[in-house]
Amino acid sequence: MKYSEIIRLNNELEGKLEEAEYKVAILSNIMVHQSKEICEYLLRIESVNANVLLGGYDNIVQDSVRFQDANVIIIFWEIYNFIDGFQYKIDNLSEIEFEGIIKKIKTEIDLVLINLDATPLVMINKFSSLIFDRYQLSTNRLSQLANLLNQYLEERVNTNIKLIDIDKVMSRLSINTSVDLRYYYSSKTLYSIDFFKKYFEYIKPIFLSATGKIKKALIFDCDNTLWKGVLGEDGFDKIKMFEEVQYLALDLAKNGVILGLCSKNNASDIDDVLFNHPDMILRDDSIVIKKVNWNNKVLNLRSIAKDLNIGLDSLVFIDDSSFETDLIKKKLPTVETFQVPSKEHEYGLMIRMVSNLFYNPSQTKEDTQKTHIYKKQLQRSKEKESVGDIGSYLGSLGLVLTVHVDDYDQISRLSQITQKTNQFNLTTKRYTEGDIKKLIEDRLKTVISIRVSDKFGDSGLTGLVILDNCKSTIDVLLLSCRVLGRNIEYKLMDIVINFAKNKGIKTLYSQYIKTMKNQQVSDFYEKCGFDKMGRVDGNFQYSMHIENYSSKNIGYIRVKNGK
Amino acid sequence: MENRIKRVMSDVFNIDINSINKESSPDNIENWDSLKHMNLIIALEEEFDIELNDDDIVEMLNYKLIVEIIKK
Repeated sequence: MKYSEIIRLNNELEGKLEEAEYKVAILSNIMVHQSKEICEYLLRIESVNANVLLGGYDNIVQDSVRFQDANVIIIFWEIYNFIDGFQYKIDNLSEIEFEGIIKKIKTEIDLVLINLDATPLVMINKFSSLIFDRYQLSTNRLSQLANLLNQYLEERVNTNIKLIDIDKVMSRLSINTSVDLRYYYSSKTLYSIDFFKKYFEYIKPIFLSATGKIKKALIFDCDNTLWKGVLGEDGFDKIKMFEEVQYLALDLAKNGVILGLCSKNNASDIDDVLFNHPDMILRDDSIVIKKVNWNNKVLNLRSIAKDLNIGLDSLVFIDDSSFETDLIKKKLPTVETFQVPSKEHEYGLMIRMVSNLFYNPSQTKEDTQKTHIYKKQLQRSKEKESVGDIGSYLGSLGLVLTVHVDDYDQISRLSQITQKTNQFNLTTKRYTEGDIKKLIEDRLKTVISIRVSDKFGDSGLTGLVILDNCKSTIDVLLLSCRVLGRNIEYKLMDIVINFAKNKGIKTLYSQYIKTMKNQQVSDFYEKCGFDKMGRVDGNFQYSMHIENYSSKNIGYIRVKNGK
Repeated sequence: MENRIKRVMSDVFNIDINSINKESSPDNIENWDSLKHMNLIIALEEEFDIELNDDDIVEMLNYKLIVEIIKK
């Protein structure tokens, strides 16, 4: 898309989004003003209501104070402009002058890192010498300096900081396409429009993850999608596996992405391949959900979302047939749908591109077990269908809640569930790892997390409550959808009330912030015995005298204290 | 071609395409500052797949001159 088109479409989107403003500040020691519209546009089309603010020219340290309250800060810190003409002066500097500059930059890095310690998300481009590096074998100061400063950065960054490998973007594009030296020499504008388009595409997954818009499940068709050939026609022995694609998918599954099949075939034929085909990489145990039947794929994808208890907009679907992909794009536009490319050698590249939609800022133990966890959940639902009385079914599960309080070891996972949980989430506040760390350290806040396990296995860390003891308010209350339907939420409320009592709270306040996805909890606080007080900014406010709380006495859930 | 130039100018400066005439310049388009000028040049270069030289860039300070230089 052309730059002028981006500017126009971005202007059209301005003010149209209902989501809360998402403040992005771009700090730099060069001119990067063209980044504004491109960044805003790429985020606004994903319903992130971005407002990009540009820092002053060569003002990174000052701006790191000025923009501390932004949701995201991006830093372009170019070696070439440490001092004017540094890229050609550097090799002629005396050792003392050179050391002096290194010392100055290190001090500035320290200051910036301190100033941005509390900013939820900071992306710093790694120092790069690529553009002006000499095209020769001997090493030189420019590349040595880049390495040295990157190492310095890496040793110091906190969990709220992501270092961006900008060289990767430039190597995809070529250096010549990435920069426009005319404008660098005349006005310190280094990067081209093409570069900014590629750059913001590259870092977009980080934004989507931080705003809870990341995909969760990857659903494949089978024939000509997982393998070449049509099983029903060519036969078991004649199909040829797309090995690269299957390996890439397997890796995604290991990182917490749910894999599923949605294929028009006989279920038993597909199972035969999953269990018995010698070349198959994806086996039945890595596939969480299978809809292999002759129904229309719209119905099948809907029921996949329902069975997994996730939104349709969390699904990515891949099929070789343009009929199927068009149908899904039309009928289920929120499902991200891709067609297998006609050139086979491009397929692996496409899957790598698709994997960005599942970007996971910090891999946790739960992710690696997720396939297992989701499979257990489906097993439980099946048992639910066969046992008539739901109470006795729940009683038979042997549910145990393990409660952890202010647990440092869980920072990654806690941040992740605030970002990923949409449905059973009363306030939908997204917290980065940096935020969670601060909340844990804050003595006036209590961060209560729960693990849920039953006789089928451990669902992992699946619930979070953040109690503001100073304001007597429930700041966050959420449960991962995979433990819903077991009255765990009521047992959780018992736990919360106990904590509140121990903190000396007499009246507990709470609120429900409505989003597109959390309708199911709109009456949760009322069900727990809170009184509705009214609305502030459209959000429902509740209160309850603790002594009036009456527990639902869920006897079949045991509560245990974590370490 | 003139319409494409107008289209680009209206996008970059976020103004009505019909308000652009021969006399349009930084004097009567409020948005047209030095940064926006660079954006305009980049957008025009992309639109017509050309590379303008430094003298042209400095000179292209009203609609009439832009058309003349791009025609070259």
